[in-house]
Amino acid sequence: MAKTDSNDFAQKRPLSPHLSVYRPMMTMMMSIAHRITGVALYVGMAVLGLFLLGAALGSSAFSLVSWLGSGFIGATLVFLITWAIFHHILGGVRHAFWDRGLYMDPKGREFLALGTLIGGVAMTVILWTARLLVG
Amino acid sequence: MSVPTHFKNGRSGAGKKFVADASGSAHAKFMRLSSYALTPLGILSAWWLVGLVGQPFEHVRAEIGHPFPALVLSGFAALGMIHAREGMHEIILDYVHDAELKQKAITANKNISITVAALWVVALMFIAAPH
Repeated sequence: MAKTDSNDFAQKRPLSPHLSVYRPMMTMMMSIAHRITGVALYVGMAVLGLFLLGAALGSSAFSLVSWLGSGFIGATLVFLITWAIFHHILGGVRHAFWDRGLYMDPKGREFLALGTLIGGVAMTVILWTARLLVG
Repeated sequence: MSVPTHFKNGRSGAGKKFVADASGSAHAKFMRLSSYALTPLGILSAWWLVGLVGQPFEHVRAEIGHPFPALVLSGFAALGMIHAREGMHEIILDYVHDAELKQKAITANKNISITVAALWVVALMFIAAPH
């Protein structure tokens, strides 16, 4: 960045959406959560990839990575990844509604955003309960 | 009163670093189209991933060593990482304004996403290989 003067202007230029003056709303929070869960899944896929690589290479390699999928750390990791999958899926469903012009009124859009949050947690709990019952 | 600035245009010159690379429509279409496939793949993958928690080596191999779970998990990883790469690309364009750093981040994103997808697919091919 050699052109320092134009860079100064660039830094002073106000950027949308002026995060500091916005009142926190459900739609905004779920938009941020959608991006965070997306990044978390990127990292989570890399971590689980190492777990699968250990399982592919053999029992001695698996013993090095088994903590990624068992015990408190492993269970928490997979729980958060499954929640991130469901939250991110429902975030996409929310956008699919909005793409079709549905639920765009003030009450509807907040309802849909709240549904993303509650639905994501509910689907995660249902999946884990069902998996524990099935074995 | 006019205020002279270096921003003659918001999309060219000094303003260029604040706009995307004009490929937004293709990106938005791809994200929506891939999500249709990723929804069932993600739910099924979550089901098998939970089944691996706390299991010993033999059980992990048996759980995902069949063609159907191995194919679904491979598909989820391959398509999911392309979707993730596109999403991360958007994040890089949003937050990284230095041209050189942006190019490095985009290259790193390409290499890391391909590596992660390959890691999953190759590992699953080993696990589900017929004996």
